[in-house]
Amino acid sequence: MSQPANIYPIAVAILTALACVVPARAQTPFFEKHCHACHDTSSKRGGLDLTALKLDASNAEQFAHLLKIHDRIESGEMPPKNKPRPTAEEKSSSLKTLHDVLVKAESAKLANDGRTRLRRLTRVEYENTMRDLFDMPGLLLQGELPADGSAHGFDNNSDALDISHVNLAKYLKAADHTLTMAIATQPKPPSVTKQRISLANPHGFVAHVLLHGDGVLLKNKQPDPEFPPAGEHMHIDQGAHERMGAFRNGSSVGLFRHEDESFHPYFIEFVTIYPGNYRIRTSLWSFQWDKGKVLLARGTEAARLSIVQLTGDGRGGGHPSTVLGYYDAPSLNEKVHDITTWLNKNEIVGFNAASLAPGANTRGKNRAMGFVGPGIACDYLDIEGPLHDVWPPRAHQILFGDLPLVEFKAKAGTPKRKLVRQEMGAGKNRPDPSLGLWTVHSDQPLIDADRLLGKFLPRAFRRPVTPEIRKQYVAKVEERLKAGECFELAMRWVYRAALLSPDFLYHIEPTEKIDDHALACRLSYFFWRTMPDEKLMHLAALGKLRDGVVLRGEVERLLADGKSQRFVEDFLGQWLKLRSIAATDPDRKLYPEFNMYLQDSTVAETRAYFRELLDKNLDASYLVKSDFALLNERLAVHYGIEGVSGSQIRRVSLPAGSPRGAFLTQASILRITANGTTTSPVPRGAFVLDRLLGQPPEPPPPNIPAIEPDVRGAKTIREQLAKHRDNPSCASCHAKIDPPGFALEAFDVIGGFRTRYRSIGAGDPAPRGKIDPFIGIQFKLGPKVDASGTLPDGREFLAINDYQNLIAADRERLLKNLAGQFAIYGAARNLTFSDRAPIATIVANTNKQGGGIRTLIHELTQSALFQTR
Amino acid sequence: MRILIMLGTICCLLVTPIASAQPIKHQITGLFMPERERDLREVCDKLADIKLVSINYKNAEATFDYVPAKLFPKQTPEQIVQKLDNLLRSASNSTFGVKPRCALPADKLTFVEIPAGGLDCKACCLTAYEAIYKIDGVERATANFRDGKITAWIDSRKTDRPTLETALKNRGVTIGKR
Repeated sequence: MSQPANIYPIAVAILTALACVVPARAQTPFFEKHCHACHDTSSKRGGLDLTALKLDASNAEQFAHLLKIHDRIESGEMPPKNKPRPTAEEKSSSLKTLHDVLVKAESAKLANDGRTRLRRLTRVEYENTMRDLFDMPGLLLQGELPADGSAHGFDNNSDALDISHVNLAKYLKAADHTLTMAIATQPKPPSVTKQRISLANPHGFVAHVLLHGDGVLLKNKQPDPEFPPAGEHMHIDQGAHERMGAFRNGSSVGLFRHEDESFHPYFIEFVTIYPGNYRIRTSLWSFQWDKGKVLLARGTEAARLSIVQLTGDGRGGGHPSTVLGYYDAPSLNEKVHDITTWLNKNEIVGFNAASLAPGANTRGKNRAMGFVGPGIACDYLDIEGPLHDVWPPRAHQILFGDLPLVEFKAKAGTPKRKLVRQEMGAGKNRPDPSLGLWTVHSDQPLIDADRLLGKFLPRAFRRPVTPEIRKQYVAKVEERLKAGECFELAMRWVYRAALLSPDFLYHIEPTEKIDDHALACRLSYFFWRTMPDEKLMHLAALGKLRDGVVLRGEVERLLADGKSQRFVEDFLGQWLKLRSIAATDPDRKLYPEFNMYLQDSTVAETRAYFRELLDKNLDASYLVKSDFALLNERLAVHYGIEGVSGSQIRRVSLPAGSPRGAFLTQASILRITANGTTTSPVPRGAFVLDRLLGQPPEPPPPNIPAIEPDVRGAKTIREQLAKHRDNPSCASCHAKIDPPGFALEAFDVIGGFRTRYRSIGAGDPAPRGKIDPFIGIQFKLGPKVDASGTLPDGREFLAINDYQNLIAADRERLLKNLAGQFAIYGAARNLTFSDRAPIATIVANTNKQGGGIRTLIHELTQSALFQTR
Repeated sequence: MRILIMLGTICCLLVTPIASAQPIKHQITGLFMPERERDLREVCDKLADIKLVSINYKNAEATFDYVPAKLFPKQTPEQIVQKLDNLLRSASNSTFGVKPRCALPADKLTFVEIPAGGLDCKACCLTAYEAIYKIDGVERATANFRDGKITAWIDSRKTDRPTLETALKNRGVTIGKR
């Protein structure tokens, strides 16, 4: 039986190889006439000998070789401009021959491998799926899972998604953690507590800095008479102040100090015991401090709230955190911010006076009484929760339906319960008294198990589950019950098994033309990064998803839902590499104005801009050139744009001639493509070619050292590159890479516009400009920036605006690249040579309807490229 | 008059059991600024079965109404002072207490005034006060950030000004010029 099965693939491979070997003679006239002069055995320019070329694309290396030749001829790059041009007929005939060879070879390969291969969920997909499966929106899992790889620019490609025993061990832990959180263990919900917390909680960082004069206690917007500002001498003895109730008298806390390595303002008196939704309210305002007087502020300041995951015993600072948001603090006019968010166990709320200058504080001889400058005041933080609108919670009901919770009486098979307690010493909130050991009760366990699994498994596996499969799980329940476990433990065992099964962990796409359920998953993971919801599953079950109108409606629905923000963040995180935003720290001497508020604002700008392109269905030229920007005050100051106040991102019309707005000149992109100290046209140019124009440059040849920019300011990068290009083997690639990089030289490491390089060595004194007056300036102004260049086709530009105009005019190329990026991400596979035609069709259809980016998404999802494996 | 009051107090404490509440005078620690009178009243409001009658800030004394036999049954007068001290401390985050009354006549005590810097608020004054009031020989003390002065009534046989200054410096209080 096994012999034919072994022979068959070998036979196919041999036949395929034979089929792909086309006589080289068929190509000879074109090569002889136009190519051999430079690429024969003796000349072999670029290491290429076309006289020895065989039109054999059966192996990957040869395929890539022929593809490169095809593309060079197609783009007109070869033959070179100074050589006789081939006629149109010669060119098309030659391209057709190469095209046929490549398509044939690729078809044979794909017949064996398939395009989109079996792949597991990424970390992001896994976490989102678990969150939505159990309706626990703040569940944190991905931080515990091994990092995913990346292939073809994205992490959801099977080439990047290997799996090992480490993954499985982590999945086991994650499943257990999730089930423990989901299962209700008490007959009534935890009491809702409401706690008012001062930022100056005893034993905390803020109490300490108040003693030293980096902040003040305020009552009725005046210095607290019972705790006057620290004068020439600091307040002595924090313990005595705590005993005297200095930090518990209801005063507001005014801070002059930004968060730093030794200062982490936390609201530490509430540490979550019960995971769930909590309502957070805080009152913020800003002021100008003048040696003891509270005056009108310079404008609206911004404070950051974050969710801090306490580690260890919770002491000290620097615990991992996620940003909850930036909130306005208007001048002398308190603004109450009301936020409902999920908090996990041992989480607290962190604070930062975000818009104040980093590194500026008041320590000096006269401390607060000698300080004049801005401050941000926090009146209080109220925290209320956990908020449950139903009990048992939905996560529990997903697992156990409406089965009753009863007090556990039996001795054997007892469900394990961890003692609920306050684990962090600083937390003043306490758990409810235990009501005993409670568990789910079933009078007919196997019937209930069958019913519960009948609902759970199709949701978890994202497709119908056959009765046979369900019975296997029910049989396991029976086995566990016979082993003496209670119903809850037996069910927990099978739920865990389901969450570790390939049906859950993998994207299952059984057929070449994917079925409706797989299509529902593709749509859902494309736009929500999670499992399909009930409506998608229902439409898939009815077989209606392939109806063009229905599909279009669903794509619109998915994009309109809040969960589509996951697509925005995940796609941009990879396409534009926003995930790497913090990969380097800008040099503090050269870029002292940089802080986390700026960084987070730049990321928010890019996300909001992408959302705007989608919502307004704008065309692809907006990828590189725009007449509006999405800004908050911090970014507007950074970009030199007037009239924007506050921390919230909003659409702002740009003054004529402003290069800002589009991705190409957004500070996030300019930061990602720099190294923290200097910029180089090479990585920036390569980024533009690869990510925006869809023409990734060749990797650098071996043994060619990278160019290191001169931070002393003696020589510009352009001068260094000019020398580099003298090398003929470097010149051809740099002719393409350098121009966009030269244009972007108009922007520094943190995305600020510049006409001269910053230097820490020689140079002229730097004017302060828009840099906060509390930030010390050490850098100098070095050589002038030259942002001019010449495109490979000879067109010249003098500055960034000219370059933007040139590439914005090539909308087709920009749209084609974006179509490719969406396709790779949405279909979770790389694009091949034979995908070029479908992509061209999608782009053409999009252009017929105005070329909008939302239209592009609709055309892609309606295409066979998206709907086949 | 003071001697009569003291004798009365001692008599009250020695007569056991006392069935009804009696005014009893104690020396109070932590009464280092005039504003502390209000704090003491707030603290005493939280105490059950004991009522603050009056405060003599100048002598750092307070008169309470309570029934020693009911509040502290079977305790000696010394033990009662100790128990009352514990009660007041736990109610005031250890900022008030009771100590045995001064055995030395007031005219035998030496008054010391130390100008101080580095006192920004009442809590800073508590630190300065605590630096000296426990020193053997210090009978009463005050610390006030408003006038920047620390004062003490000391038994000069047991302690002296330099000892007080050293203790203050060790707690971070800057000593000014006399």
